[in-house]
Amino acid sequence: MSATTVPANLYAAVQKRRNRGLTGLYLVVAAFLVVYAILFPGLLSVGGFSKFTQNWFPLALVTMAQALMMLNGGISLAIGPMVSLGAVIAAVTMGGPLGVLGGLIAVSVAGLFIGAVTGGIVAYLRLPAIIVTLAGSFIITGIALILLPRPGGYIPDWFSDLLAGHTPVAFGLLVLLLIGWKLYLATPLGLGIYAAGNNPVGAFRSGVPVERVKVFAFALSGLLAALAGLFVAAQTGSGDPVIGTPFTLNSIAGAVLGGVAFLGGKGTMRGVICGSLLLSVMINVMFFLGFPPVAQYVAQGLIIVGAVAIPQLTSQWRAKP
Amino acid sequence: MNALKSAFRNPPLLTLILVILVWIVASLTLRGFGAFGHLRYLLELSAVIGIVAAGQTLVILMGGIDLSVGAVITVTAILLPLISPDIDPTGLVGIVLALGIASSIGFLNGVGAAYLRVPPIIMTLAMATFLQGMLVIVAGGSAVSVTNATVIWLGQARPFGIPAGVLLWVAVSIVVLLIIHRMPAGARFLALGANPLATELSGVSVKRNTLLLFTLSGFFAGLAGILILGMNRQGYVGIGDPYLLTSIAAVVLGGTSILGGRGTYAGTIPGAILLVTTTALITVVNASPGWRSIMFGSLILALLLISGREARR
Repeated sequence: MSATTVPANLYAAVQKRRNRGLTGLYLVVAAFLVVYAILFPGLLSVGGFSKFTQNWFPLALVTMAQALMMLNGGISLAIGPMVSLGAVIAAVTMGGPLGVLGGLIAVSVAGLFIGAVTGGIVAYLRLPAIIVTLAGSFIITGIALILLPRPGGYIPDWFSDLLAGHTPVAFGLLVLLLIGWKLYLATPLGLGIYAAGNNPVGAFRSGVPVERVKVFAFALSGLLAALAGLFVAAQTGSGDPVIGTPFTLNSIAGAVLGGVAFLGGKGTMRGVICGSLLLSVMINVMFFLGFPPVAQYVAQGLIIVGAVAIPQLTSQWRAKP
Repeated sequence: MNALKSAFRNPPLLTLILVILVWIVASLTLRGFGAFGHLRYLLELSAVIGIVAAGQTLVILMGGIDLSVGAVITVTAILLPLISPDIDPTGLVGIVLALGIASSIGFLNGVGAAYLRVPPIIMTLAMATFLQGMLVIVAGGSAVSVTNATVIWLGQARPFGIPAGVLLWVAVSIVVLLIIHRMPAGARFLALGANPLATELSGVSVKRNTLLLFTLSGFFAGLAGILILGMNRQGYVGIGDPYLLTSIAAVVLGGTSILGGRGTYAGTIPGAILLVTTTALITVVNASPGWRSIMFGSLILALLLISGREARR
């Protein structure tokens, strides 16, 4: 099982295969980035880069959270509410006696706990993830509404400046997260995500603790979504019990653009990051081109269908003699 | 004991028993709950969810899911007043046009799922996003009032004391139950949900059935949209949003497997009533919106544990 004993050329071959479907995505993202940089040259300055990555960061987090669920063969409808709850907990606790560190811990614990409970229900009670998270979305929204019935709360200014100021801290955090993901994949629980998602029975027979893998993946997914909420709270300087709502759809869109398959076990985090980046850049470019905000939905719908349909169709054509 | 056991193996029956129990207990403990007018009102609300869930049941039986029903309802409710021609006093032309639009949206979903090979959940999600944007661009995003005579009759009239919407629901239920249980098409849908490859190899066209199912789902969502418009007398952006998740919940509460291949609309009917009753009971309890939301979610989860469990495979 250990990755270190695998010969390097095999590793390269495996990685090449995993990258194959993503070449088109990389090209599209690069093209959009070039267009954006031409429209908005400030992107290349430190401040512009920081602002851009800050808008992208929460989307990248929720897309990773959704991708974790989809690698498991499920889908989460509770990502948005989880973001809201993270934002609310941050805004409620950071002004109190707990302080910033306490708030950070509270948000993380809430995310891990709710994710683990959801994962436990899905894994041990055998309910489909889509329905459990559907019910969970109502419960989580309710908790957020009780904690903070209307937008408010308090985030210390220095904390907002640190995360969402004029320095690319968000980008650095994203890089750290990706390194963390690589390390997690080197553990049995991380590797198990792909095995259990692709073929749960086969994975179980070969000794993968399928249930535990699921619970851990769900917990991590909850943590990522809650941290996205924390970041959004830092960005806006306050908490809002419904601020996360659009993130549910966007997280699915980003993950799908990034090439994560719905049936589980197929997809890469680098693709997911690119998918969320594409979504984020696309929104920015359309804004700069002067499209009305709603046109963004139209384009988003078309791009999602295109992103899934085009590779399917080309592979079909290639298969024909 | 044996009867109890078989009831537990029969989710539609179980859900129906749950509804009856809840209604009896609530009528005895809450004043006004058991009044004819109130129960009739609950059925009227259930009719809307039940009709949306009719299409949703069919799609889920085939192993798909339709996340665009909310958007289709909104589109119908907003476009119908705009496209009903003034020269037609009955308003039937507008209804036919609106149902045509709703069905063609469903058809497009089917094209995406069948020919472009986009998974239904993504296709319908993308469609919902697309419609959300198109609607604001086309209709401008303001609320529209309805003057269409038939639509208002459908939403407000009570022939023989029964709301017209409930009568419509009964008609829809009969048709859908006949499709699923008495027609070859229903058998094909269930077979597709259980094992698409085997079904295709036995000569059933996956593509044609997918197209048919999504068109039907669009049609039923459109029908529900017209009913909602008649009850509200106004269409606005977002009017259909609450019905997306509730339609899925009603299907699952009725014991239909979200993975497809197993279930019946006979379960969705009590599922829809149960959902509406639950919401009504939560409203009676004087709680803040947050607690209401928590109770609703917990109740769905609890009901799922009873009736919606996937069989161990």
